[in-house]
Amino acid sequence: MQEEKVHVRLLIVAGVALLWMTAVFGRLGYLQLIRHSDYLARAQRQQQRTIEITPKRGAIYDRNMHPLAMSVPVESAFAVPAEIGDNKILASRLLSNVLGIPRAVLETRFESSGSFVWVSRKLPPDKAEAVRALNLKGVYLQSENQRYYPKRELAAHVLGFVDLDEKGLGGIEYGLDSLIRGKSEKIVVMADARQRWFDGGSAQKDQGANVILTIDEKIQYIAERELAAAIAKTHAMAGTVIVQNPNTGAILALANWPKFNPNSANEAKAEARMDRAVSAIYEPGSTFKLITLAAALDQNLARPDEWFNCENGAVYIAGHRIRDHKPFGMLTVSDILAQSSDVGAIKIALRMGAPKFYEYIRAFGFGQQTGVDLPGESKGILRKLDNWSAISIGSVSMGQEVGVTPMQLVTAVSAIANGGTLYKPHVVAEVKRGSESLPMTGALAPGEPKEVIRPETAATLRRLMEGVLLHGTGPRARLDGWTAAGKTGSAQKIDPATGRYSRTQLIASFSGFAPINDPAVTILVSLDSPVGEHEGGQVAAPVFKRIAEQVLPYLDVPRDVPLSPKLIQAAYHRNEMEDDSSLSDFAPVDFSAQPDQAPAAQNSEKKAETPKPTVTVALDEGGDIAVPDFQGKTMRDVTEMCLRLGLEPVLVGSGLAVDVAPASGAKVRRGAKITVRFGEPEAVMKAARNAKPGGKTRNR
Amino acid sequence: MSKRKAAPMMEFRTVKRIDNSRLARHMEPAKQKNLFKTAGLGGVVALFFLFYIFQHFKCIDLSFQLEDLKTRRAQVAQLNSELKLEIANLRDPMRIDVIARRQLGLTEPLPTQMREYEAAAGEQVAVARFVRRGQQR
Repeated sequence: MQEEKVHVRLLIVAGVALLWMTAVFGRLGYLQLIRHSDYLARAQRQQQRTIEITPKRGAIYDRNMHPLAMSVPVESAFAVPAEIGDNKILASRLLSNVLGIPRAVLETRFESSGSFVWVSRKLPPDKAEAVRALNLKGVYLQSENQRYYPKRELAAHVLGFVDLDEKGLGGIEYGLDSLIRGKSEKIVVMADARQRWFDGGSAQKDQGANVILTIDEKIQYIAERELAAAIAKTHAMAGTVIVQNPNTGAILALANWPKFNPNSANEAKAEARMDRAVSAIYEPGSTFKLITLAAALDQNLARPDEWFNCENGAVYIAGHRIRDHKPFGMLTVSDILAQSSDVGAIKIALRMGAPKFYEYIRAFGFGQQTGVDLPGESKGILRKLDNWSAISIGSVSMGQEVGVTPMQLVTAVSAIANGGTLYKPHVVAEVKRGSESLPMTGALAPGEPKEVIRPETAATLRRLMEGVLLHGTGPRARLDGWTAAGKTGSAQKIDPATGRYSRTQLIASFSGFAPINDPAVTILVSLDSPVGEHEGGQVAAPVFKRIAEQVLPYLDVPRDVPLSPKLIQAAYHRNEMEDDSSLSDFAPVDFSAQPDQAPAAQNSEKKAETPKPTVTVALDEGGDIAVPDFQGKTMRDVTEMCLRLGLEPVLVGSGLAVDVAPASGAKVRRGAKITVRFGEPEAVMKAARNAKPGGKTRNR
Repeated sequence: MSKRKAAPMMEFRTVKRIDNSRLARHMEPAKQKNLFKTAGLGGVVALFFLFYIFQHFKCIDLSFQLEDLKTRRAQVAQLNSELKLEIANLRDPMRIDVIARRQLGLTEPLPTQMREYEAAAGEQVAVARFVRRGQQR
């Protein structure tokens, strides 16, 4: 009986235990099998957060690794309105006080969505701290990157700009956006019960790439400053300056006016954001005569000393009368370029014929994109040969009926400067991700250099271009201390009202390079519609001079001509000089055209008005080698003399030495290249006559 | 009246004194070995679990530390970026030019005032000689 009772109790306990176990396992099964996905999602919501990491946009540097554009982390405030709950009005009021955003705007935002709304993006550190201090439920701060251009307007057209989401919208920022931006990545972070985050995943794998440009910020600044000064002086509507290395095609500076500040690009006019250097098309005018002459000389259809009848200022083509800017009689080819005779250029082109001329124009890259790694490049205007009218050859030979971009023109002039090779212009030197260089493909791929004219033709043309500065239309471009060559241009603009060439609005330009013998820089200056003096030789040539005389010493290019005695006198007796009008080109640039953004400078503006002692930095002189007089010498003699002096001879032509560049007597450094031109004995006699007092002498 | 008889004593208690102090408990070596083995194994398992739990919590703790360090690193990186930006701002050629001209009264040197200096290989070019014209006035 007793035993039975015990047995029953045991059964009850076991039954209860079994029921309990069944209940537990049943619940477990219910949770794990039936409600599994719901609870998993709920747990993940509570414990995990997926964060999208936007990679830091790569920096853009100049060729000396000075940063021109960089991204800095900043904080943005966002809200989850569902979490704010009933405190939306209070949250709006507090945030409005801190951020200065109207309360109604915030309230509308909080009502618009339940999950996510931006409160304010890219906050200054003090405001971000103030939002953090409010410690509002449902209001958070998220780290983002802000793009900064520390040099403000400097090289703005090359760099471009970005929008609020750091998407490139212009210049290199747009062109290389996919490389600079990198790829976004999502990571999962875990949270404990107190919502402390841990286990934040791995680091970024695909950061934005850094871009190293060929631009030199110092040269860029010089170009922009001189362009701004020229615009202020001439009241031109717009302007462009390009400085290029003729031996590689690398762009050292690219300046446009009007300019803009990429830090606030949305405030700038579309006109100011336009990169005129690659997208503005204009008729080049007389600078295009370089192409006419290059084509004729390269085909041996004209010689530099050959005479042409310039018809006293007018010529008829297909019944149309084309007038010269000045009446000229008989001119040599050299003088046609120096005096910029339209009739002379037309006659040379007519001798050549349209097909051959067209071939050379295309070879120099006109009517097609240069392939420069900047977006928005125009290919210019060059009608197909079949569409040329009877008058076209005359118009094109003097730079009309053809539209070019400044980039095309500077590249063509560089080809003449470097001995006849056309290089693809480029602004990107290297793209790096971390320490690894990325392959230069697509638009960044280096182009194949092509020879467009023979080296002998280029050498002849360089000499003719020097004549433009020495006794032609561009004396204001003459440099003190270096040889230089170039061509002026004053192209009439088409008046949109009449559809005819305007008499008052011109594009004044100058394209040149220095030094002649071993060019280090090619510089193009173009001013759109200058007021008052408006010819290329009057307004653009001085800008070339000022830029070249600052850039050449900066690039450590040795002088190849003696300095003018006037300047030497000025250097040592400047205080005593009464008439320093000839030194006007050395007067400091008027900064009235430049916004002064340096606070320290603003504070001291009053101080600056008081006269300051002038501090002059004088460097000790180095030993120079005088270029000997080679006239009448044989090639062998010239080579021996050069080698004895440690100079590198570049021999052009055959016969006896006729001409030398740099000129005899000029001081050059050891190892400098000396170009000696050889010709027939008669040419030597003629050159000797010219060298005598009273003859045509080189003043430099 | 009959006299009631006393009930016979049915139970009695005896005290048996046993001295087993001289007895030695017999332990089977195999059983003892098994016992130690089991206890050891149990200890190892317990230690393993303890270590696992320790490791788990340590991992969480280190994750917090790691997050803290990441935050600090991000702050330092941000400061570094801000300083780089500041340097870039200060090196703005226009800013330097304005200070040089307006505050220091410097002017551009004439071409004659700059001469190339050809230094021998490995030599440093000497510093410029300063001529203060203002002091001569």
